[in-house]
Amino acid sequence: MMSEDIVKLKGTKTGLQISFAPGVTFQAIEKNIKRKLESGSGFFMRGTVVEIAPNLLRHADWERLRVLFRRHGIVFRMSKPSVDKPADSLLEEAAKKKKKAREREVEQMVVVDRTLRGGQEIRTESSVLVCGNVNPGAQIIAGGSIDIRGTCRGLVHAGAFGNSKAFIIADRLMPMQIRIANFIARSPDQPETSDKAERASIKDGQIVIEPIER
Amino acid sequence: MSEVIVITSGKGGVGKTTTTANLGVGLAMRGKKVVLVDTDTGLRNLDLLLGLENRIMYDLIDVTEGRVHFKKALVRHKKYESLFLLPTSQVKDKSAVNPEQLVRLCNDLRQEFDYVLIDCPAGIEQGFQTAIAAADWALVVTMPEISAVRDADKIIGELGRADKENIKLVVNRIRPQMVEKGDMLDMDDINDILSIECIGQIPDDEKVVTSTNRGEPVISLDDSQAGQAYRNVVGRICGEDIPFMTFPKESFFQRLRHALGM
Repeated sequence: MMSEDIVKLKGTKTGLQISFAPGVTFQAIEKNIKRKLESGSGFFMRGTVVEIAPNLLRHADWERLRVLFRRHGIVFRMSKPSVDKPADSLLEEAAKKKKKAREREVEQMVVVDRTLRGGQEIRTESSVLVCGNVNPGAQIIAGGSIDIRGTCRGLVHAGAFGNSKAFIIADRLMPMQIRIANFIARSPDQPETSDKAERASIKDGQIVIEPIER
Repeated sequence: MSEVIVITSGKGGVGKTTTTANLGVGLAMRGKKVVLVDTDTGLRNLDLLLGLENRIMYDLIDVTEGRVHFKKALVRHKKYESLFLLPTSQVKDKSAVNPEQLVRLCNDLRQEFDYVLIDCPAGIEQGFQTAIAAADWALVVTMPEISAVRDADKIIGELGRADKENIKLVVNRIRPQMVEKGDMLDMDDINDILSIECIGQIPDDEKVVTSTNRGEPVISLDDSQAGQAYRNVVGRICGEDIPFMTFPKESFFQRLRHALGM
């Protein structure tokens, strides 16, 4: 059997759907994937989401693959089982679901319960809550607002998709740059410190920072 | 029982190899059986710091490729019976070893030694990924300097991504006088950003340079502040609770003597 046939990958909206040729052992699958990952061909970009149909693998095998993918920065998860529906309502349903999911994501908040370190990035259409610090070199790009329960020293961009009502709050707001919608402000060359939490938002066409109570 | 520790930093020149050599000697001085694994293939230095360059017969690549058993490649330290070095190759490059090979090797070394210290190359590329693969925990070395702290932060993030959550910090080359004057980052600034447990604060000490050139790590010198600081780190690795050293302010006469170059 040709090695390309052991593991099949299909592009989906969210990333890649993986499936295996029938009757192949897990060892062969794992070896094949490992070779793909290590070939460094750039086929698997970091941050790619790879989905697998549920019940295709035993749990232990699934876990092994997850660890393998994770080592290469790839998210490995089960796809939602699709429910059989009459074909005509299926399209409509899908469109509705997509719209709803999009709305939900915008309303939802991404919670990051750790410190974002240099080189790490959060990119989302919704709002972001960080319970930790945002270190220099880290980036948050959010469609909504950003709330940081800690010190912000990285680059933060709220309302990145045009929402100029978005705002940024941090216990200690001392970022390299603040961006809201299409406005940019950079930190003063002489750093000033405030003991209070601060909030950055757009007022009269520029980014203003004001202390707040919380 | 035995521990595999990787010593890493991201930035080059902050003292990874110096720290590895000193901790290795320090642990051996306490009677522990220690092996130092140099993974900085192509740019090996650890053997120089230990003064063992002329005794190398085989290297890490010979072992991982199965040409010799690891026992044949180990170089025993001339002074400390329980300290061994597994040197790497100076002619190959980092792609000669992969993470699986190093994990297998470290599992073998675990059977024989109390501590396996892995000296990691600078950078976050393949050499780094290989070096950290086998480690139970990581020791991040940094310096009170903005670029070194920034790189340490990145490395801590990378370690987290590789599921290495147990990370400790050593801050090397602190100049107390400069910190006091506010010309150098102090420990609070560093902890503020890195927020991981610090187990070592090593002062900048000329004796580190002279002892390095002699191939005899500074930890074995009784009259060196850096040596004392490294001995404290070794104690903390062994689980002792040791307070951090305070650096005495220079008195007027000491300053005068310094100024006169005495």
